[in-house]
Amino acid sequence: MELTERDLIRNCQKGDAAAFEELAAKYYRRVLMVILGIVHHREDAMEVAQETFYKGFRNIKSFQGGSSFYTWIYRIAVNLAIDFQRRQKRGAADLRENMDEVAAEPDSLGTDPYRELRDRELGDKLLAAIDELTADHKAVILMRAVEGLSYKEIGRIMGCSEGTVMSRLHYARKKLQEKLGPDL
Amino acid sequence: MTECDRIQEWLGAWLDGELPSAKAAEVKLHVEKCAACAAEKERIQRLDAALKRALEARVSDAAFAPFWAGVRDRIAREKSWRDRVFDWMRGVLAFPRLAWAIPVAAVVLIALFSTVRYFGWFAPTNLASVESIDGHGFNVALLREAKTKTTVIWLFENQETEDDNSVEPAASEQAF
Repeated sequence: MELTERDLIRNCQKGDAAAFEELAAKYYRRVLMVILGIVHHREDAMEVAQETFYKGFRNIKSFQGGSSFYTWIYRIAVNLAIDFQRRQKRGAADLRENMDEVAAEPDSLGTDPYRELRDRELGDKLLAAIDELTADHKAVILMRAVEGLSYKEIGRIMGCSEGTVMSRLHYARKKLQEKLGPDL
Repeated sequence: MTECDRIQEWLGAWLDGELPSAKAAEVKLHVEKCAACAAEKERIQRLDAALKRALEARVSDAAFAPFWAGVRDRIAREKSWRDRVFDWMRGVLAFPRLAWAIPVAAVVLIALFSTVRYFGWFAPTNLASVESIDGHGFNVALLREAKTKTTVIWLFENQETEDDNSVEPAASEQAF
């Protein structure tokens, strides 16, 4: 019988690492995506994501179930990623190197080569543009555009009001549109 | 600010389904009849979709096994650190080393007692002591009071022996 998320969390709280592994397997990609959008460098994102789940495991007993598990783990991820990004803001050269490395990776989505190329180019420009936003603006647009979290959930994660989420999101979208111009 | 500027400020929140129904209806009505705002709406949708695609493409090859191995390593490091602490505590509290407890307890008690004495906690409210020195032809008496840190010195002339029943010397005979 497959365990529900609630059962898995309860088992984690009793120290069952295997139960936590199941939860991690379910959410690690989504967590990694948001972290990658904030810290920009894949290896750094991997480190921060691992730290996120490690902290999650260590603090699972404090999880009261007032929010969903992914909102809870997202809060840890976003806070760690923002801290990391503020501490280790990488230079433009490193970013370009990473962009080249990323562009060389095979794209598993879609079969239309023209669309793939266009998407990859747009994606590179978009990620370069997003890196110019502040960590708070990045986090907000990533949580909304990538995860589809509600303003309420984002506000809870970021520790700000829904109005602040709305204005940050409006500003971030405006800035990205300006940077991308006709490419969008 | 034009009507379009005003509507475009709400476009993102409208697409996110975060506007109250009356405001959402107003935005929807405007977008249906305004080509510029409809184009802006599509740009926001393309932006969000492109961002999601770009990030999905970059994590699609991130396998779980190496990821979890990193998390497991961290958990293992944490456990060994705890184990080390527990081992140390077990070692210290083991029977042959219990002898440590006695000097440690003694030091703690002395420190506690000294602190109490130093700050005067639980001390009697007022203590005074009287000392006297008898010399040939002179007697000296000292009164020391701890609370107000007062010292009073009496000098007496020609009183060879201490007389508890003697009357207090006159004020003119005192010297300070």
